Amino acid sequence: MVIAVVVGIKDAAKLTGIFIIVCCAVLVCTLFLNFNIDIAGIRDEITSQQVMLFYEAQVSTAKVVSSLCGGCLLITSVIMLIFYIKHYVDTHKKELGILKAIGYSGGKIAVNFWVFGSSVFLGALAGFAGAWMMMSAFYEVQNEDKILPAMSPHFHPILFLSLVILPAVLFGIISIFYSFLKLKAPVLRLLKESWQIPTGKEKHREKREEKGGERPFLDELKRSTLRDKKTLVFFIIFASFCFASMTQMSFSMDELASAMMGIMIMLIGIVLACTTLFLAITTVINGNKKTIAMMRVFGYSQKQCCQALLGGYRPMGYIGFAIGTIYQYVILKVAVYVIFKDIEGMPEYGFDFKAMLIALAAFLVIYETVMYLYSEKLKKISIKEVMLE
Amino acid sequence: MIEVKSVQKSYGSGESRFLVLKGISLKVNTGDFVVILGASGSGKSTLLNIMSGLESPDQGAVLYDETDITKLSDSERTKFRKDNIGFIFQQYYLLPNMTVEKNVKMGADLAKNTDYKTMLEAVGLGEKMKKYPSELSGGEQQRVSVARALAKKPRVLFLDEPTGALDEQTGRQVLDYICKLHKEYGFTIVMVTHNQNIAEMAGMVIRMNSGNISEIYTNSVTKNAYEIGW
Ligand SMILES: Nc1ncnc2c1ncn2[C@@H]1O[C@H](COP(=O)(O)OP(=O)(O)OP(=O)(O)O)[C@@H](O)[C@H]1O
Ligand SMILES: [Mg+2]
Repeated sequence: MVIAVVVGIKDAAKLTGIFIIVCCAVLVCTLFLNFNIDIAGIRDEITSQQVMLFYEAQVSTAKVVSSLCGGCLLITSVIMLIFYIKHYVDTHKKELGILKAIGYSGGKIAVNFWVFGSSVFLGALAGFAGAWMMMSAFYEVQNEDKILPAMSPHFHPILFLSLVILPAVLFGIISIFYSFLKLKAPVLRLLKESWQIPTGKEKHREKREEKGGERPFLDELKRSTLRDKKTLVFFIIFASFCFASMTQMSFSMDELASAMMGIMIMLIGIVLACTTLFLAITTVINGNKKTIAMMRVFGYSQKQCCQALLGGYRPMGYIGFAIGTIYQYVILKVAVYVIFKDIEGMPEYGFDFKAMLIALAAFLVIYETVMYLYSEKLKKISIKEVMLE
Repeated sequence: MIEVKSVQKSYGSGESRFLVLKGISLKVNTGDFVVILGASGSGKSTLLNIMSGLESPDQGAVLYDETDITKLSDSERTKFRKDNIGFIFQQYYLLPNMTVEKNVKMGADLAKNTDYKTMLEAVGLGEKMKKYPSELSGGEQQRVSVARALAKKPRVLFLDEPTGALDEQTGRQVLDYICKLHKEYGFTIVMVTHNQNIAEMAGMVIRMNSGNISEIYTNSVTKNAYEIGW
């Protein structure tokens, strides 16, 4: 029963977001790490000088791709998940407060957050299985010209442990622990929709701002939304950052790695980028749903509400996109230099302007479409429903 | 004048279809103070929401003078609410991340009313303008929502159990403020309440019983918020 309160049916859909993110990240990591381990094993079988050169090139590429992609994906998904869990617990404070008020102990409630761990586990498992399904095809493509000795995929328990079991346990613990910490607060604080009341310094700043003349309510609202919902601002910036870096990185990777690797990374990058962006935008809208409903009761038009409450996030999205673009360029440049510096015929890596434009266009389209569709959906929900939530 | 003409509303569909309003008709004159009484679940809130244009009925019309608001599109209705309607709910619904002053400004800006601070003073909250809703008591929060609703200079004020969450004393106080402002500005009031005694304050009382109006009567003498029982 407690679990039904903590994670409602609607939220179950949101857990699929986590599932997809984890699945993608684990799939790529499993594939590359397994390949890396196996390819290290055949080093002794190589005799000729020439094969050795090819071997080393292969190893370097695998290293770049796996460390960059895997690393990036992993870090992104970890940050995304932690953030998501935090946001989830924060927005469900009230339900937690009710349970606590009835008399459930903090620990008993917090334990229910293992569901996050379990959805991570399922996602990781799916990713791991998916990787193994394409493993032998992947190995073959990597050694298409049969220059290297034949390689067959071996199962490495350590990978299973560190890519499936460990993340599940870790995220389970993180969510339980975080909600437990939150639950330490007195019941009333949980129940009350308490907002962080600005500190002395911020109040001071507000006063100073006010001297500059009074702003219309909608402007005021726009500013305070960005100021008070910092987590959401961060969420959007980060998601756009991920989107920009992942899509562009996969475009560029196309030239550095084999065709199959490139396509795979690209697909996964896009799926992941879209999922994060989607998650971020829907979270932002949900976070502002109540205010929008209240304002519509009073007669503010949907357009005015959206502009004031959601419009502020748009520039943040572009900032995130810009940072992501620069970031992926720098990191690829450095990585290519470091890893290929001892190897002849180091691939040249320049800024891919075309990829940037495509990514930007895709970003624009996805961002605006999701925003639009979702706020249209909001329109259909009756005000009563929103208010009761 | 507001005229409700044989309004029907049901929820659900098929087997579980449930007729909440079974053909309601009534008239409210401009400047009236109307109270709607009735048992829980009798459809009071639903009627209020339909009268104020928050929900649409399945059948029937709601006329404001000549305009039938049930025929308006969603955005036209929003515009209509903007120009005519004020709301006060049992649960206040203040914007938690904005100060009292800015909450009231939300209403005031819609009517281009720059004089909203007098409204806050009128409900006795002149001192608390810079506070946040979470720093106020329930009664104070409800007074903010009164100021917010009135700052937009509505022609009609709808209240759904405004004193439902308040104790007797704060309840009376809030009602008193509403009454005084009603006399001063002359807007129409439609109030839903559980409290029979509050009906003595109103010029017209509508009693509802499971989706029908069972009784409508007028009071020739009305009492103020401190004269009624509780
Ligand atoms: N969105 C909805 N979906 C289905 N049924 C609803 C919905 N809203 C209201 N009802 C039903 O309509 C009936 C009337 O509801 P309403 O809220 O108008 O009652 P009320 O008279 O205001 O009661 P109370 O005094 O308890 O507030 C109730 O039986 C309720 O179950
Ligand atoms: Mg009601």
